[in-house]
Amino acid sequence: MEKAKISASQLFILMVLFELGSALLVPLAIDAKQDAWLAILLGMVCSFILLLVYHKLYTYYPDLLPTEYMQRILGKVLGTVLAFVYILYFMYDASRVLRDFGEMLLTFAYPDTPLFIANALLMLVIIYTIRKGIEVIARSGELLFIFMYVLAVGGFILIISSGLIEIKNLQPILEEGLFPVLKVVFTQTLYFPFTEVIVFTMIFPYLNNPKKAKVTMLCASGLSGINLIITMLINVSVLGVDLTERSQYPLLSTIESIQVANFLERLDVFFMLALIITIFFKICVLFYAAVVGTASLFKLKSPSRLSYPLGLIILFLSITIASNLQEHNYEGLKVAMFTIHIPLLGIIPPLLLLVAFFKNRKKHEENTFN
Amino acid sequence: MKRKGVFLLLMMTVTILLTSCWSKKELTDLAIVSAMGIDETKDGRFHITLQIINPGNVAGGMQGGGGGQSPPITIYSASGDNIVEASRRASDRISRRLYYAHTNLVVVGEKLARKEGLNTLIDGLDRDPEFRNTSTLVIAKNSTAADLVKTLTPVDKIPANKVLKTLEFTERKWGENVKTSLQEVMKSIESPGRGAVVSGFRLVGNPQQAQKLDNLQESAPGATLRASGIAVLKQGKLVDWLYGKPARGTVWILNKIQGTDINIDWAGKKEAIAYQTVRQKTSVSAQVKNGKLHISVHTRVEGDISEMEAPVDITNPKVITKIEQSLRKEIKKELRIAIERAQKNKTDILGFGEVVHRTRPNQFKKLKTEWNDVYFPKLDVDITVEAYVRRAGLRNKSFLSGVKENQK
Repeated sequence: MEKAKISASQLFILMVLFELGSALLVPLAIDAKQDAWLAILLGMVCSFILLLVYHKLYTYYPDLLPTEYMQRILGKVLGTVLAFVYILYFMYDASRVLRDFGEMLLTFAYPDTPLFIANALLMLVIIYTIRKGIEVIARSGELLFIFMYVLAVGGFILIISSGLIEIKNLQPILEEGLFPVLKVVFTQTLYFPFTEVIVFTMIFPYLNNPKKAKVTMLCASGLSGINLIITMLINVSVLGVDLTERSQYPLLSTIESIQVANFLERLDVFFMLALIITIFFKICVLFYAAVVGTASLFKLKSPSRLSYPLGLIILFLSITIASNLQEHNYEGLKVAMFTIHIPLLGIIPPLLLLVAFFKNRKKHEENTFN
Repeated sequence: MKRKGVFLLLMMTVTILLTSCWSKKELTDLAIVSAMGIDETKDGRFHITLQIINPGNVAGGMQGGGGGQSPPITIYSASGDNIVEASRRASDRISRRLYYAHTNLVVVGEKLARKEGLNTLIDGLDRDPEFRNTSTLVIAKNSTAADLVKTLTPVDKIPANKVLKTLEFTERKWGENVKTSLQEVMKSIESPGRGAVVSGFRLVGNPQQAQKLDNLQESAPGATLRASGIAVLKQGKLVDWLYGKPARGTVWILNKIQGTDINIDWAGKKEAIAYQTVRQKTSVSAQVKNGKLHISVHTRVEGDISEMEAPVDITNPKVITKIEQSLRKEIKKELRIAIERAQKNKTDILGFGEVVHRTRPNQFKKLKTEWNDVYFPKLDVDITVEAYVRRAGLRNKSFLSGVKENQK
């Protein structure tokens, strides 16, 4: 662990940017058709339970990284293995987001550029940021957060004023009943993007005011959830369900539809800017967690030295995980969701909490007994 | 010191990289496509006609040389089994890279729209990241898309702009045409049990004459372009053209009328009072009465009296009320004509199916597959109209009523 401190507001900003990350890009929860917003809302609400689990684990060991307290909870061998699995997960997730970024750039603006170049350029910046440590990430987050929201509010006003929104497209609500929505909640939105914030348990120990961790976490999830709901509501009401479903990047198509007074149009560059900002922070946080985790697991003194080797691994992983965009998306939604996200985000943390709870009670009893 | 030098060198190399000219497109290497026409060749392939802007001739204008100039646009065409192939093949006759980001107009030939339909064209256009699906889609009435795209136009030098602006203004002032974007057409073709409407455009005059600069040297050009009717698409294929009252009624029910002119009879004189609408709002709702589906169309319109060709004394509010009543009848008749026409065509261009889908999703599931052919034509539709006269221009009584009084 490096000797750094971040404030609660910085954590809040990082979390919001993190959750918006690649979730703004894709047609989130579109399997629920026009009720996508409802699926996101329910996913957010349900995620609060898991977030509280993560937070409870943190309150048991406020000064330790998850990679360290896993060893305390499960014993040396099992804990180390599990910690390693989580580090791999963070790196895999980072490379997925990096791939998303590259594919977006290539699909939309740079069809002739190799994917490797696009990814490498972003990764170089990220490696540099990681070397500078969490404080720098948090401060740049504060700066770009404002910029991001200016873009978002501006875009929102333009979409409203160009009269594109047709609320009709959101009806009928719950056409097929609640079941398809719940299915999407428990197989998608609960994990992506809401409980992905498990990576922030690696950052909680840096918080200068640990008491605020819980409120910050819930508020950040709430805000980003609301933003995602608004985004999806706008996407569906502007494009309609079918077009949103067919869109690789529905928000891009929505922004392309803006035509105000015959001169404010083709604003897709702003979409790119906003997405690059959020994706940058998402990768930064995931990558940082992987770096710090590896350093603590292998007892390395300066974690920043790891940024180059691990960064290169993420870069190459992002190219090799899939041979095309469709495969990449399929893996993300169908394969990785069930084999990685659900066990690592939904099942293991509550089990850890259970063990930690009994261990700490025993300790507590012993203490009072003595 | 040495470190500083290395740093400086690094900065300079990075600057070269940061210009990021990998996928660069130089302005002088681009052929800006302003409109694209799509037709069918005899052997069933696609034939595209590209209207490319000659930048110099648009900017220079007529003041520069007078006669003997080259036209503001140049036409290239190519054919292929699909649009992408045709577009790529066109590169063997154009010295620049075709640039579709400013293509605001897509024209589809009537023959292609009737036989093949639009469904096969749309994906290629929609998928392309450069091409915008906000561009306007038009069907060339009575001619090929090529003839329409080739026509030179006065006032607005770029023909694509002329078409777009004409549609925009006539939609706002007259309401018998709609400006439909590719995205809108796509959405309504895709929507379950719905037909689509597309704006029609027509070349009036001789197509050979239309392509020549000489055509523009006349004050009344022999060949011109004009908006003409609304094309009705059923499952992407052209089935009917709407003009006049059915066209306007359709636009009205689609809640797209912005301003138009309605004439009513007064005291035995036909079409004596002209009424111009200022704003209107139309809403469609679905109910079930005695187990039968029932559609209600409600429209509320406000406007001014703009001409009276009969001696009418509108200082009396009762007269205004009477005018409003006959307006209601007139508008109702027009909407009825539009609905009957749509039912006769067995094509739900009015979006009634969508309303049923939204408000009664379970019921619509059963009707969905046969909506257009079985249920829609038999639908009961209620029309209620609220029409209000708000103002009457600068005068109250008609000029004719003054004439009438003084000549007694």
